Parts: sequence; C-alpha cells; structure tokens
Amino acid sequence: MLSNYKFKTEFNDVFDIREFVFDAVEKSKVKSGTCIVYTPHTTAGITVTSFWDPKGFEDLQDEICRLIPTRVDFKHQHDTPFDAAGHVKSSLLGVSMSFIIADGKLLLGHSQGIYFLDFDGPRNREIFVKIQADN
Amino acid sequence: MKKNYDNNMREQVYGLSKLGKDQYELLEPLTRKVLTTPQIYSIQKIVLTGCGDSYAASMFVKKTFEKLTKLPVEVVSALDLARHYDESQLGFAPHNPLVIAVSNSGTGARVGEAVQRVRKHGGFVLGITGNKDSVLGENSSAVLDLNIPSLPPAPGVATYFVSILSLLLLATRIGEVRGRYTMDYANVLRDEILSQCDSLIPTLDDVDLKVLSIAKQWEKNEAWDFIASGSDYATAWYSMAKVMEATGQYSMHINSEEFNHLNFFMRKTHSINTVFILSKNDAGYSRTLESIEYSHKLERPTLIITDDSSLESKYTNTLVIPESKVEEIPYIFQFFPTALLIGYVMTILGEIPGRGVEGLWDFAKDGKGVKDSKIIVL
Repeated sequence: MLSNYKFKTEFNDVFDIREFVFDAVEKSKVKSGTCIVYTPHTTAGITVTSFWDPKGFEDLQDEICRLIPTRVDFKHQHDTPFDAAGHVKSSLLGVSMSFIIADGKLLLGHSQGIYFLDFDGPRNREIFVKIQADN
Repeated sequence: MKKNYDNNMREQVYGLSKLGKDQYELLEPLTRKVLTTPQIYSIQKIVLTGCGDSYAASMFVKKTFEKLTKLPVEVVSALDLARHYDESQLGFAPHNPLVIAVSNSGTGARVGEAVQRVRKHGGFVLGITGNKDSVLGENSSAVLDLNIPSLPPAPGVATYFVSILSLLLLATRIGEVRGRYTMDYANVLRDEILSQCDSLIPTLDDVDLKVLSIAKQWEKNEAWDFIASGSDYATAWYSMAKVMEATGQYSMHINSEEFNHLNFFMRKTHSINTVFILSKNDAGYSRTLESIEYSHKLERPTLIITDDSSLESKYTNTLVIPESKVEEIPYIFQFFPTALLIGYVMTILGEIPGRGVEGLWDFAKDGKGVKDSKIIVL
C-alpha cells in the first residue's frame, strides 16, 4: 500500500512526519511487515533522531550546515547556493528509510522520531510511505 | 487588420506575444549563467544605463530591481556615466558597481565610452547586446547575448520590449541567487512574465481600434505631452521618444507633479495631445488623477492608458490594459497602446520614421550621429 502526504516546511526545517507514517501503518492494517518512508525531493532528507529536545533539531541542521556550508562557489550554479548545498546534504543523508512493523505498529525506540529535513525551504514538500506485509 | 493605416510599428506590436515567448525561452537560461554566483554576491550597487529606448527600459525596471534584489539601484544616462558620474563611485569595492548597459546594436559611442570608463575604474559591466563584437560587447566584463529576429524597420518596439524582458529576468535571477526569495517564488515571477505574453492577445484588437480612432482625431495636433509617475514614467519617456522618431513632432515627458508646474502653462491647449499613463498601484496615482482632471479643464485632447477599469466610466478616451498579477513585476507591455497610436499618426501624416536620414538628417546615415562621436574615457 502506498500513501502520499503533502506539507509545507520552514527554512532549515526539521519536520516531524511520525503522524503521517503512523497513519499509513494504521490504514494498511498490516500486522507484520516493513514500511519504507521516501521523499522524491533532491534538497531534503529523511532521518531518525530523538524527539525529546527541540534544540537537538537545531543541532542537527547546524552540524549538517557546518559539514556542508552554503557557499557561493559550488560547481552547480544553475539555481542558488542553498539549492547546491541542499543537493549534497540530501545525497549524504539519504531520501528514504526502512522500518519494521510488528503487532500492527511501527517499531520505534522510545526516543525515536522520524523527521523530514528541509535543506532549501521554505517549500511545499511531500513524502510517500510504502507498507509491505510479510507473507 | 487596418490595412489602410498598417505600418511596421503596428506589425511589431502584433508580433510581441510570440516574440515574448520565443525570447523568454532564449533568455531565461542565459540569465542563469551570465553572472556567476560569486559575482552576484559581490554586488553592492547596480547602475542601469543606456541611450534612447534602452534608457527608458532601464527606468521601467528600476523599481523591480530594487524590490527583487534589495540593492541600491540607479538609472544613469550614458552621457552622465561617461562624463559626469563621480569617479569615487566607480570601483568603490571590487567589481562594483554592477553596471548593466543595454544596447541591442552595441555601437553607440556614448554607451561604449561609459562602460570603458566604468571598467577603467574597477567596476563590473554586464553588456546586454545583440552584437558581442561591438564597442559595448568588447568592453563588457560579461555579455548577455540578445538574439532578436530581424524585423521590418520601425521606431523601436520589439527591441525595447526585449530590453525590458532581459532586465526583468536578470533582476529575478539576482534576487533568487542572493536568497531574497525562494526558488519557487522566483519561478512565480518568471511565470508571470511569461503569462503576460498571452494576456496581451485578447486586448490587442480592441485597443487597436480605439487608438486608430484617436489617431484620426489627433492627426492635426502639433505637440504631445506624456505624463506619468514612478515606473509608468518610463512608458511616458518611451512614448515621447517614439513621437519624435516616428512623427517628427514636438513631444515631452513629464511627471504628474511637474506637469502642474510646467506644461500646465502652455497655450494652444486644444492642439497638445496629452497622454497619461497610470497604474492603479502606482504610489503617485492620486496626483496623476488630479493632473488628469486639470488636463480636462484645460480642454486638452486627453488619453488615459491604465489598468484601472474604474476610470473607463469617468473619462472618455480611456484605454484599459491588463494588469500584472504579481506585485514585483510590472505589466511589461504597458507601452503597446502608445506604440500603436504613434504608428498610426506617423502613417496618417505620411511621415517617414527617422526622417529617412535624408536631407538635413543626411549626416546621420548608418547611425553616424551616435556611433561616430569622439570617445573620451575619463
């Protein structure tokens, strides 16, 4: 089963997409299976991090920006410096993650949240959630 | 089709929609590459320059440049930039100011002289020209190539439009790269520019019919005043220039405040064609409206070109044109009604555009009057 979710982000957003994923799992009625969360964007990424402290989200973006600063001399000049840096960040972070469904629920650690990171916001964005049942 | 009075200016106006779409496809990708990101980020001030129609195009886009780039922007005539602009304002920082010089032919001596002066003192010149080998092309730091198809000769309509189009696309690009707005919004701006090419078509025939009627009423009048404020003032300037070039008649551009200090005093009010260009969102709207009232009191033959349809019921001779749907982008075809009108008056009078550079004007053949001027790089 494939579900699509659309949303708006802010600049450097760390957007909580757990509710979308939980919704997809629930609708699927799958008891045991796998769940793939995927985004079709090239300047965004999907990750898991602790949801307890929002300051941690800022750390995430800050460190990603420290590793890949937005600069004016990227070779990709067709769009903007933010876009060029966003492509690199997205490639390194990845645009999809896989999860386990057990007893009809997503298997997540007690601190784990699933987040969409925007590297070129604010934008209109979307994710897809694919649920596959075990045989 | 008004075959009896058809003329090359009218033909160019009717070709603007297609030209706009074709030129957009050519220019949009070029405006992404002509300045590198480091060059865009180093800009601290922008100077727009040109002569004639190019100068008017610079005036038309100045406000858009300011809004989109959030940089200081000046429009400076080529003569002022070449001879009078303070030297300390050139090269005050590396590659500054960014001087954008527009000239399709690129052969005007004054623009060529101005850009040489700018570069001599450390500024950066982006030449917008159809001739890379011209004095403008060869003396520019970077060149945005124009490729305007050759058209039946006429006082500039197509070239003026393409100048505006290229400048607006550049402004959009600079603002986008500097992060003034998102890429998505930059594409909204670009889409607005492109969609205006379609919005022109439904209005053409109606306006064409009306201006022909006005042209017939006005053919015997001796002079023209074009009055506007803000960005609209560029259309007034352009229209004044076209009257001179196309009809050889006396013409003046004036803003809607100064009209009441100067032109107001002219006698023979019945024989001064008085054209107001008025956008409903122009900050000077109320003053221009007052001046329109005074023009009527003076019994001047008056025409209003506006996107404010509410004026149609208040004033005869009101031409309503489409409006822009995006605040930062003006209606790029605002000039088309006056181009049609002036083309018709030229034809009715049997006047030769540019006086055919014959007789007294013979010395200016092949543009010698503007090309052969002595170049002094100060």
